[in-house]
Amino acid sequence: MSILLDAASRVVVLGITGRIGTFSARDMLAYGTQVVAGVSPGRGGSNVEGIPVFGSVAAAVAATGADTAIVYVPAPLALDGVLEAVESGCRLVAYPGDGLPVREAMEMRAAARAQGGWMVGPNSPGLISPGRAKLGFMPSFCYQPGPIGVISRSGSLSYEASLRLTQAGLGQSSVIGIGGDPVKGVNAAEAIALFHDDPATEAIVYLGEIGGSDEYAVADYAQRADAKPVATLLVGRTAPPGRKMGHAAALIGSYADTWESKVVALEAAGAVVARSLDALVDAAREALRRSAR
Amino acid sequence: MLLNEARGKRLLAAAGIAVPVGIEITTPAAVAGARFAFPVAVKAQVASGGRGLAGGVRRCNSEAEVSEAAAAILSTRFSGLLPSTVLVEPWLAIARELYLSVVIDGRAGGFVVLYAPKGGVDIETGPKPLAYPVGLARNFRAHVFRALLESVEHDRKLLEQIVALARRLLRLAEAADCTTIEINPLAVLADGSLTAADAKIVRDDAAAWRHADIATALEQARAAETEDVRRCLDANLMLVWLEGEVGLLSGGAGMTMAAMDAIEAAGGHAACFLDCSGNPTPAGFGLALELLDSNPTVRSILVSMFGGGLQMDRVARTLIELLRNRSSTKPLVLRLDGTRGDVATTLLADAGFANHRALGPAVSEAVRLAQETTP
Repeated sequence: MSILLDAASRVVVLGITGRIGTFSARDMLAYGTQVVAGVSPGRGGSNVEGIPVFGSVAAAVAATGADTAIVYVPAPLALDGVLEAVESGCRLVAYPGDGLPVREAMEMRAAARAQGGWMVGPNSPGLISPGRAKLGFMPSFCYQPGPIGVISRSGSLSYEASLRLTQAGLGQSSVIGIGGDPVKGVNAAEAIALFHDDPATEAIVYLGEIGGSDEYAVADYAQRADAKPVATLLVGRTAPPGRKMGHAAALIGSYADTWESKVVALEAAGAVVARSLDALVDAAREALRRSAR
Repeated sequence: MLLNEARGKRLLAAAGIAVPVGIEITTPAAVAGARFAFPVAVKAQVASGGRGLAGGVRRCNSEAEVSEAAAAILSTRFSGLLPSTVLVEPWLAIARELYLSVVIDGRAGGFVVLYAPKGGVDIETGPKPLAYPVGLARNFRAHVFRALLESVEHDRKLLEQIVALARRLLRLAEAADCTTIEINPLAVLADGSLTAADAKIVRDDAAAWRHADIATALEQARAAETEDVRRCLDANLMLVWLEGEVGLLSGGAGMTMAAMDAIEAAGGHAACFLDCSGNPTPAGFGLALELLDSNPTVRSILVSMFGGGLQMDRVARTLIELLRNRSSTKPLVLRLDGTRGDVATTLLADAGFANHRALGPAVSEAVRLAQETTP
């Protein structure tokens, strides 16, 4: 099992005729994902890598039964693309792009939730359920199937962290990039709830940052009596206050945004806190050991 | 981007929200001939907090006092920044100071309205404001916010004014792409009306494509950056200079922060946050190396890239070319891992450069080399 995405998911790629869309469609297909359709307005009837291209998501869904979408279009067109996918019946829609206004993220999130579905992103590599399917552009070799659910605000950190877990024999049920922006389609609390309900996930690894409130949601979960064990790694311990560290949300504006404040809250809640990337594998192992008790 | 008070107030006024009518001046001489109703407030216009406690707001009773206060303020740095202008406004007779803001919170999936019955400079240290998680602006419900306010406000007329103002702020935040609108203090005047005595507004930089004023402000901010930062922005690299001695060239915000933390844990300090993932080309890496080589506070350089979509053998070829033509003798440590990391290691070895696959040993070596070369 996994969260949101599995081998039965039927994926439609919006913007498949673009450079990134074509690359990602080929890459997801190579991983074994059922990439059943592409969409590019005005290009219906053609194909990319043998994948049929339609002029609209509705046409793609009608012809192929697609239920999952990934949207590779620039920020000014992104909301239109996500709304089209959601309203055509896709229950899971990823928008990996960065530089998206917060207002668009709010609308995308609300539209997906209103239909009972989920949006993943923005500013995220997407979501992978190792050995089953991938919806995004994360490097496939970093992952292997297993019992750990991984949640990450950072794409680059999730690749390196997942590879370390994989090399240590600690596979993953799903790895979700929730994104580096303040408003997310799936936030940390929601990702945790999904992993909590997934029987194949025995422990959760959360990769967080300075800034924002997601880490406190993780702490709230970790102290629940019925919580699955949580291991965490937060980066940005040495970032100075008031300076944006790449991600829109990685900004220390108050004490609650700092590494120390978040680590204190997570430790008090009973999470296994890795204080450096090198300590992550041991922390994940400890979380798994606790789940076996 | 954080707007200064005068810009913020112009945005509020355009949305029909009451603000004091002020004028902005750039030199003390500009007050000559202006007609003020004294007393007036003379306020530093600078995009940083804490100016009130630092003498950035002064009460003046004559033209001479205004001129003197303006001269003093314009030559004072507030949190390191010189004010661009001075705002002169009527001094408000404030009966009560409230706090009202609209901010973004991921847990709410959008906007949250915050209200505190006691505003002013102590808001950070006082009790937590009441919070109404709204999400999308159109999900604001007067009755929900009213019920929340009734626990702290009993003056019905005031309460309804606050409800109406909150709705207006949400609509403004949505229409103008603001991620923060904070009115502190929100002044209750003698006649019971509300006026925004101050304004802290943050516009969403990502929305510059639909707001000419954000685009213009970003252009101005870029022009005001140091040359290094400006060149990086133009090249799609993300640079923040820090205080340390290890020049860090990395990829991805999360991994760059992780490497910064690892440098500190190894006893060193990062000289910069420099994310090259936006432009991993000869031009991008070339600029990054040039900046690190030419900065004398950088004692050693750590190039740490983990390839996901990016193929490390291509990065290795690019770096070999750049390093062969490099004149600086500053020590440099390479750590390329991830996609085709094995090929990268072989290519680098053939060219005479050692590559670390693991981050830890690379960080230790870079920190050690920085310490050895520090006089």
